[in-house]
Amino acid sequence: MSKEITRRKLLKYMGATALSAGALGISTKSFSQSKKAIPTTPIKVAAVSFLTGAAAAPFGIPGDNTFKMCADKINADGGILGRKIELHSKDEAGGVDAQVKLARKLLLEDKMDVILGYISSADCLAVLPLADELGGLIIAYDCGTHELMEGAKSPYDVPKFKLGFRSKAHLGIDNVALALYIKKYYPNIKKIAGINQDYAWGRDSWLIFETAMKKLMPQIEVVKTLWPPLGNTDFTAHISALMGSEPDIVHSSLWGGDAVTFSKQALGMGFFKKIRMAYSRGEPYPQELGKDYPEGQIVCCAGTHYFLFTPKDKASADLQKWFVAEYHKRYGKYPTYPCYHAFQAIYAYKHAVEKAAKAVGGWPTPDEISKALSGLTFPTPSGLLTIREDHNGYEDCLVGITKMTAKYPFPILDKMEIFPAAQVNPPVGTKTVDWINSWK
Amino acid sequence: MWIIYILNGLYFAALLFFISLGLNIILGVMGILNLAHGSLYAFGAFIAAWIIIALGTHVPPFFLYISLLSGLVGVGIVGFLMEKSLIRFMYKRTLEYQLLLTFGALMLLEDVIKMIWGGQAYYASAPFVLLGKVNIGGNVYPAYFLFVMFIAFIAGLLIWLFMSKTKLGIMLRAISLDREMATALGLNITGLSTLAFVLGAGLAGLAGALVVPTTPALLGFGHEPLILAFIVVVVGGLGSLKGALVGSLLVGFTRSIGIAVFPEIELPLLFLIAGIILVAKPEGLFGR
Repeated sequence: MSKEITRRKLLKYMGATALSAGALGISTKSFSQSKKAIPTTPIKVAAVSFLTGAAAAPFGIPGDNTFKMCADKINADGGILGRKIELHSKDEAGGVDAQVKLARKLLLEDKMDVILGYISSADCLAVLPLADELGGLIIAYDCGTHELMEGAKSPYDVPKFKLGFRSKAHLGIDNVALALYIKKYYPNIKKIAGINQDYAWGRDSWLIFETAMKKLMPQIEVVKTLWPPLGNTDFTAHISALMGSEPDIVHSSLWGGDAVTFSKQALGMGFFKKIRMAYSRGEPYPQELGKDYPEGQIVCCAGTHYFLFTPKDKASADLQKWFVAEYHKRYGKYPTYPCYHAFQAIYAYKHAVEKAAKAVGGWPTPDEISKALSGLTFPTPSGLLTIREDHNGYEDCLVGITKMTAKYPFPILDKMEIFPAAQVNPPVGTKTVDWINSWK
Repeated sequence: MWIIYILNGLYFAALLFFISLGLNIILGVMGILNLAHGSLYAFGAFIAAWIIIALGTHVPPFFLYISLLSGLVGVGIVGFLMEKSLIRFMYKRTLEYQLLLTFGALMLLEDVIKMIWGGQAYYASAPFVLLGKVNIGGNVYPAYFLFVMFIAFIAGLLIWLFMSKTKLGIMLRAISLDREMATALGLNITGLSTLAFVLGAGLAGLAGALVVPTTPALLGFGHEPLILAFIVVVVGGLGSLKGALVGSLLVGFTRSIGIAVFPEIELPLLFLIAGIILVAKPEGLFGR
């Protein structure tokens, strides 16, 4: 009998101990969450861009340069809440599997505080789901696919990833803005064509552009759609095929070496005397090609990312002045759109950490930073940027026409038109194509 | 406009002819299917781009065109080193070993390119721009493309003369016809094999050098041409100069007209043609 009581008592004590220990544990945890000290160690930031391969020269290296430049600036200004940034540049080459492995390693083994990265849409689509799985913050900085944050059908729930973000708008804005620009400046054209690379990027870009054009200018006829492979070195057959079908304007999302090769060979074949190009991501190439770049081409800046653009608000305008001058001083070129995208990612993180820290009174957890990022608005060299509750950037978009001037050794953009964010981005929870199709 | 379609077809055929010629010599004489051929082509492009950029405007334009030969010489040397260190051990092995080894060489060469020239693009368009344009029946056409066609014609002629008229060429053909008999007759197989490989590699390098003024040299430069060169070899027949010529023309024209008329199936069509020829005439149109 007494034995039994003892056992019962024992169980009771054990239960009580367990309960109190649990309670203590919880209270310790909540205590540490509300008043966490700010660590003195540096913040480990992984920056993943193509450092080799076809996308390195046009995007990866300018993006990586900017990450370094911005990290230096943040550190010189005292870091984020006094903590310095320790930047780890990583190569995005190697394909999706390699990137998934790398992201796991960065978050789990190397204990990175955040990953800022990815130019390829395929890499973004594969890596962003890891943010929630591994509990680490990932901010996509340059990839374009509209599918990344969208659900299967409209309306869809947001956000798709709790800890996954993209600090820029998707390719929808480029192609919608191009279509709006064409409607405004060339309302009488009858025939369009497209030349886009034969993979998701090219196909998606053309899909959005064609859908928007058919909605805005129903009389338009599509006379040719060409799909050269990525890394094509001979465009002569494509150029002749386009010239033979006599379109007024040709849409293109060609990038990097392909954009340069196409332009050079087209110039040699007298293409631009007859046809006007509309490039959804054409901003870097006039500077790349110099005075050989033809005048009169429609060029979109993937946002308002242009070194001659002055944002309306003072804070952004000051940043733009510093950004253009500093980049040119360091790298001998004017910043191109991937540079602006890199700025947006690293400063989105900085502003979100500072905002979250104010709310929680100490260094925030990834969850708290995520909460602060959603709905955050901050100045950037291209103007005020908002990260929406779908965790996607919300940006205006600039389109212009190339024109040679005496001031620069390459054509600059004339007749610049800025399409406000509300006009070029679909509303939260609506798929881009559904949104365009709903236009009245 | 049709004259331009024909010229486009000819230009592309000229490039393919160059690339597949080297592939064909190596395959015909040595029986080696060289998967690293595309990388040798890329190597030639990088060497030439690097020299053209270095020369810049310091020299008369004539030297820029001479400098394109650096692809031939540079990659010829690479080919020599490759044959001496890797390929020579493969002559008596079966095809699987050759494929594994040459695929390894492909990746190795890509990494060497990355080590030497880094990840960035090299723009060397001076030779393309300097030649300007010509007017053909009211259409503008870059003169450089005509230059490439001319060089391909000359190279084809020289290789044909070399193979059919010189003693060295006849010895190479003897090896390709019957290696054992050639050995029995006392031909210096080791030396001749090295020569064939150096020649094949050099031609790939020259092709890369000729292309680079029209498109930047980038990593992964040789992948697409390698696939197309294989189609040419399949269509034309292994080890046949005539086959390489006809195969190149067929692929060049199918692509040029395909893009103009049915762009969605231009590439599948090429593979379909290769497939049909493989089934109907497995040795290729002019193969033995």
